Amino acid sequence: MQVTEAIILFIYLLIVTFIGIYFYRRARQSESDYFTAGKSINTFVGAFAIFAAVASSSSLMGAVGSGVALGVPYFFTYAFGVIAILPFAMFLISGQIRRSGVKTMPEFFQQRYGNSVQMVAAIIVVIGMTFYMVPQLTASGLIGSYVLGIDYKAAVIILGLGFTLYAALGGMWAITYTDLIQGAVMLIGIVLLAGIILVDHGGLNSLISAALSVDPAFGDITQPWMSYFGLFIAFLWFGIISPSVVMRNFASRDAKTARRSAMWACLLYLTLFIAGFMVTAAGANLGIVGTLDNTDMIFVSVIEHYLPPILGGIMLAGLMAAIMSSADAMLLAVSAAVAHDLYKAHINKQASERFVTGLGLIVMVVASIIGILIAIEPPGLIAIMVGWVGGFLLSAFGFPIVLGIWWKRANRQGALIGMVGGAIVFLILVIGQWLPTNAEPIIAAPISLVLMIVVSLMTDPPSKEVQAQVDYYHTHLDDEQTA
Amino acid sequence: MSSRSKMKDPGLILTVVLVLYAGFVFVWWPTDVYYVGISLVAWLMFIGLFFWFLLAIVYSLWIERLDEQNKK
Repeated sequence: MQVTEAIILFIYLLIVTFIGIYFYRRARQSESDYFTAGKSINTFVGAFAIFAAVASSSSLMGAVGSGVALGVPYFFTYAFGVIAILPFAMFLISGQIRRSGVKTMPEFFQQRYGNSVQMVAAIIVVIGMTFYMVPQLTASGLIGSYVLGIDYKAAVIILGLGFTLYAALGGMWAITYTDLIQGAVMLIGIVLLAGIILVDHGGLNSLISAALSVDPAFGDITQPWMSYFGLFIAFLWFGIISPSVVMRNFASRDAKTARRSAMWACLLYLTLFIAGFMVTAAGANLGIVGTLDNTDMIFVSVIEHYLPPILGGIMLAGLMAAIMSSADAMLLAVSAAVAHDLYKAHINKQASERFVTGLGLIVMVVASIIGILIAIEPPGLIAIMVGWVGGFLLSAFGFPIVLGIWWKRANRQGALIGMVGGAIVFLILVIGQWLPTNAEPIIAAPISLVLMIVVSLMTDPPSKEVQAQVDYYHTHLDDEQTA
Repeated sequence: MSSRSKMKDPGLILTVVLVLYAGFVFVWWPTDVYYVGISLVAWLMFIGLFFWFLLAIVYSLWIERLDEQNKK
């Protein structure tokens, strides 16, 4: 057991749990408070919150692990995709979705396409986000077992239940404010680590030379082109198709704040990955990748090698922070999909707000238990599991969202077939394993696009009201400002 | 609102810019050119990281300017 690291991690978890309980009462006031923090978050808090939600455990552990194992171009492909997440989402959907006034992504589908599409979308959100808990739990289990010196399975269970508790209690209020701390800890931790690594090696050039002398293939393209391209597009689209990221956008005070938050979050993310590059080079320099049980542990090895225990503890708390904030946002998305989009929208329209938030809480706990059960025997490396989730959601939601905003002619039938068709083709490709790792969306997403366009054109156009609604999404371009 | 004005949306224009740069990297794909021992592909992506942030700034300021004009 690493005593210093364990104490720091414990104190950290206590603080965030306390914040969760503090915000409990505030969160239960209304559904809007619970799911979107009353739409009152400012730029500073919002930037860290969006940053922490997008920067999942895979951003740190997975990117570094895969960069050391597969070469630094793989790491940069990862970064090239994820840093474009926020600008890309902002360019195509953020303002428009915000103007639509919905609380969750399936609710947007309901407004644009009707009930059937909302229900299918809610089911896909539940499947995708519940599975997305698995890489987060795997990462927390790896860190927990290292710090506490306990079995990986026990670590997954204890930490998984621990961070579900505060997410479930506080809803978006707790998540957004603890994200401020988590985002800051994560960022400061990795920048500090990168600085120490650079000083230790006497500059970037000699750090890269040292890594290349240990692993001559460190700078090479080691995988088929499709693997890089598939990884890039799966991440690029993540801000559009990930309900947890889209929901952060709704929590901002106004549209300008939402844009500025996303812009600054992009800078925070850029800083994280530049520091991550140093960590990757240091990881290659250690030359131990073949000796680890799990390549994703390389990050922890770098921390252990370069940092004294106190700083190491803070850094591990930062890693755990990344995992918690992402996992919480996912749990909230699952909870909103079931309580808000399925139960309140279709089963019991008269349900009280208190009952809906209570149901959301129960759903969170159930989803995290399912995630824990799968994570006990994880089906792949963190980066690959995250790539699967991104690819699945892109194949199902990517074009129904973007065309729903930009193409008035897109209708219910087209969206339904595009969504279900894309999801099924993706699953078949993953199960069949004919393509290089993570290349599935290169095939599945265009199929979804073609299905959606062809079916929409073959069936009746949407009603005049819906078409007027699509125009309303774009009112920032009108001469008369209405948004 | 006409569909013509959608084509002038800063978001759509900047998406085209983003896709052009990503397309440039993935079409050219200079795997065998190296700089400081690392493939040029990686360096092009590294430059791209800063370019993405620049695009985010351009978008935010552009939309704010449009908002100002609309208010007037």
